[in-house]
Amino acid sequence: MEKKLSKKALSKSFHNWYYGHLTCFSQEHMQTFGYLCAMLPLVEELYTDEEEKAKAMNTYTAFFNTEPQLGSVIVGITAGLEEARANGQEDVDEETINGLRAGLMGPIAGIGDSLVVGTVIPILLGIAMGMSTGGSPLGAIFYIIVWNLFAYFGMKFMYFKGYELGGKAVDFLIGAQGEALRDSISMLGGIVIGAVSATWVSVTTSLQLLNDSGEPYLVLQDKLDQVFPGLLTAVFIIICWYLMAKKRMSPIKVMLLLVVVAFVGVLVGFFNPGLTY
Amino acid sequence: MEISWLQAILLGLCACLSSMPGMGGSSIGNYTLGRPLIGGLVCGLILGDLTTGILVGCAMQVVYIALVTPGGTVSADVRAVSYIGIPLAMVALKSYGLGADTTEGAALATSFGTMVGTLGTVLFYGTATINLVWQHMGWKAVENRQYHKLYLIDMGLPWISHLICSFIPTVIMCKLGANVVEMIKTVLPMDGIAMMTLFTVGSLLPCVGIAILLKQIVKKTSDFVPFLFGFVLAASMGINLVSATVVAGMFAIINYKIKMLAVTRPAAGDDEDEEEDI
Repeated sequence: MEKKLSKKALSKSFHNWYYGHLTCFSQEHMQTFGYLCAMLPLVEELYTDEEEKAKAMNTYTAFFNTEPQLGSVIVGITAGLEEARANGQEDVDEETINGLRAGLMGPIAGIGDSLVVGTVIPILLGIAMGMSTGGSPLGAIFYIIVWNLFAYFGMKFMYFKGYELGGKAVDFLIGAQGEALRDSISMLGGIVIGAVSATWVSVTTSLQLLNDSGEPYLVLQDKLDQVFPGLLTAVFIIICWYLMAKKRMSPIKVMLLLVVVAFVGVLVGFFNPGLTY
Repeated sequence: MEISWLQAILLGLCACLSSMPGMGGSSIGNYTLGRPLIGGLVCGLILGDLTTGILVGCAMQVVYIALVTPGGTVSADVRAVSYIGIPLAMVALKSYGLGADTTEGAALATSFGTMVGTLGTVLFYGTATINLVWQHMGWKAVENRQYHKLYLIDMGLPWISHLICSFIPTVIMCKLGANVVEMIKTVLPMDGIAMMTLFTVGSLLPCVGIAILLKQIVKKTSDFVPFLFGFVLAASMGINLVSATVVAGMFAIINYKIKMLAVTRPAAGDDEDEEEDI
C-alpha cells in the first residue's frame, strides 16, 4: 500500500520547524537539530521498522543552515522526498536528499536574507515607525500583528508548496517571474528606506561663519538644505555604504570610524549637539 | 528612576525569548520581540513609561533596521540592544532630564543602545557555545536511537544556555545600570567634549544601519535612485512614511508589470497577447 503522510504529521513537522529551527543554535551545527526535530514526526509515521527509522533520521544529521522563513520550502521538499523514499521510489536515497538540501540552502539563504530580512522586515518597520511617531504604541502593535501573520502563514505556505511541488516550488523563486517580483519588492524597499532615512536620521552641522559684528553670514546647514534638503544625512549614508560595499569594511569598523569623525567634528566645531542643562 | 527586581526579571525573560538563537523561535523571538521598536513597547510596559519606551525604541530601530545575520555572524546582539540598552537608555534620559522626543534624547539613546549592543555579541557567542553541550548529548541520543530526546535538546535544554547568557546578564545589568548611569553623569558633564562626541555619534550611527540595508539593495549606481526618490518624498515633499509606502507600492507595481512584459513577450506570440486582453 502506498504510504501517505497525514495532515497531522505534516502540521507537526511544520510547527517543529516554525518554532525550533534556531532554538538550539551553535556555530558548528547551526539549524541541524531544528531540522531533525522537523523530520522526526514524518519519519515516525512513515516507518515502523527501527532500522529504517534510524536510516532515515541519519540522513538529516548532515549540516544545515539557511534563512529559516523562506527555508521552510526546503523542509517541505524533503518531506515529499522522504515520503517517496518510504514508498520505495528508487531514485530517492540519502544522497539525493542531502544533495538537494545542500544545493538549495545557499541560494535560499541568499534570497531569504535579502527579501525577508533585508526588505520585508525593514519596510514593515519603516511603516510601523511612521505610525509610532510621537510615542504611540500603534506602530509597534501593527508590526507585531502584520509580521507574525506574514511569517506564520508565509512559512506554512512555503512548507506545503514545497511538499506538493517538490523542486518545482523553488523554480518559482529563482525563475523569471520570481526575479521580476524580487526586483519590484526591492525597489519598493529602496523607496521606503529613503523615506525612513529622511524622516528618522538627522545629521546636521552647527558650522557658521560670523561677520565683524558677530552675526552669522553663512549658516552651512541652511546652505546645504537649499541645495537638497537633508543633504548631509544622505551624504553620510552614502559614505557609510561606500565604505562597507566598496571598501569591504565591517559595520563595527565603520561605527568606530564614525566615533573618530564625531570627535574631530566636535573639536573643530562642525558638530555641536547644543546641549545645556 | 530605579529598576526593581521584578522589572529586571521580566526584562531578563524577554531577553531569553528574543535573542538570535532565542527561545521564542526566530519569528516571534528574534524578529518580533528582538526588534528595538517592539523592545521599546515591551520595556515601556514593564517600566511603566510607554511613550518614552516607544520613542527610545524608534530611535534605536533605525540603527538596526537591517540586522541581517548571514551565516550566523552577528555585529550586534538584539537581546542586549532591546532589553539592556533600551531600559538603561530610559534610565539615562530620566537622569539627564532629557525628553525622549528631542533630537538630543534620541542621540543619547542611540549611542547607549549601540554600545551595549556591540558588547552584547559576547552573549551571542556564549549561548551558541553552551548549546554545543546539548548538541553533543543530541548526537548521543541519535546514536542510541532515542529520538524523542531531540525535542528536549532542541527546545528545552537551551533554556539553560539562556539562563546563563541572557537572563543573568540582563538582570544584573539592569539592576546595576542605574547606578552606573548616575556615575557617568557625574564624571562626564553634558557640555564636555566626551558627551558632545557621544551625542554626535548617536546621530551618525543610524547612517550605518541604513547603509547596511543599501548594501543589499544597491547593486549598480542607478539603484540609488529609488532610495533618493524616497528621501526626496520625505525630506523635500514632507510626505509621511505610510503615504510614502503607497507611492512606493505604485512604482513597484509598474516595475513588475514592465518586467513581466519582458518575460512573457518572447515566449508568447502576438496572438496569445490579444487573447489575454479579452
